[in-house]
Amino acid sequence: MNCGDWEERIALYAGGDLRPEEAAGLERHLAECAGCQLLLSGLRESLRLLREAHAEPVEEAHFTAVRARVFAELERGRWPLWRQVWVYGLAAAAMALLLLAVRPKAHNRIAVVTPAPVLTAAPAPPQPQTVRQSVAPRHRKPRPKPAAEAERPAEPLVVKLLTDDPNVVIYWITESKGD
Amino acid sequence: MTALAFLAMAAPRGGSEACARAIEAARAGDLAAFETVMRQYERMVLVTALRLLGNVEDAQDASQEVFLRLYRNLNKVEAAGNFSGWLYRVTVNVCHDMGRKRTVSVPMEDGGMASAADDPQASATGAERQRVLRMSLRMLSEKERAVVVLRDLEGLSTEEVARALGSSEATVRSQISKARVKMRDFVERYFRRRV
Repeated sequence: MNCGDWEERIALYAGGDLRPEEAAGLERHLAECAGCQLLLSGLRESLRLLREAHAEPVEEAHFTAVRARVFAELERGRWPLWRQVWVYGLAAAAMALLLLAVRPKAHNRIAVVTPAPVLTAAPAPPQPQTVRQSVAPRHRKPRPKPAAEAERPAEPLVVKLLTDDPNVVIYWITESKGD
Repeated sequence: MTALAFLAMAAPRGGSEACARAIEAARAGDLAAFETVMRQYERMVLVTALRLLGNVEDAQDASQEVFLRLYRNLNKVEAAGNFSGWLYRVTVNVCHDMGRKRTVSVPMEDGGMASAADDPQASATGAERQRVLRMSLRMLSEKERAVVVLRDLEGLSTEEVARALGSSEATVRSQISKARVKMRDFVERYFRRRV
């Protein structure tokens, strides 16, 4: 084993980190090797100087400053929860008012448009009636239906509401019972 | 001996009963109790951060972040035993994150090297020696610097360092031996000493 192989063990030994069984073998080698003795003394000296270099006390003002900053941050962190509740509550109330405000009214800008086929494609309601009428059991009287309803199928009415925001268009779809 | 006494002051071990009670109270939202905990460990955190980062401003920023993380994670931190280890680990991680965000420069001063070359026999002043040793710490990699700070300056055992850094004891021993050799070589070259 040459001196280069001992280097790692000597570095651990200098800081008191070598296991006792390994330290015994190293000490035998050190007794015979001047080069490794010099390495050990150099390592111990640099460790001593390192500890001296970092032994300067830190001023109390630095700790006080950190404490102040931490507690300022913690105090700031405590308020937003209540502020958020207050703000969100106000926001919810404002939204409710807005929804009430944009309710379709007669004087608002409402354009009743003929629904496009894709919007108003409704299942053919007369089918059940037709079937019912065609297969009306003999033993039961068919229920009387209003003539207007029987004659005119219910078509859904689509009301397109334009708002002040061009990106917001409200479609209000309802059944038209006939006016 | 002064350095060792300072080390003993810097790192309170485990948690006393009073500290454990303070931690419990802090978990319940008692800020005064949290301040008690902070006062007990602020020196350990700030000094470690200062040694890892090299300047007070960054160390203060790091310490602030460490204690804010402590407050947010009080429920996860054990009240005793490994509390210091948790704090060391968070301090190292925060300093590592800060180190990544800023440009790391090794303060190699050619003027200092030239003066040593002019008069290699002159003994360096204490301030000069301290400057060189600080430089030698800065020229290590982040991991090597962390193990040297925790082991050689904070006085943790290699096992405690391994737990704080989340690595194995064998890795820590390897890193610390390499780091010590590097620092010694740097100092030797700087003062023109030859083996």
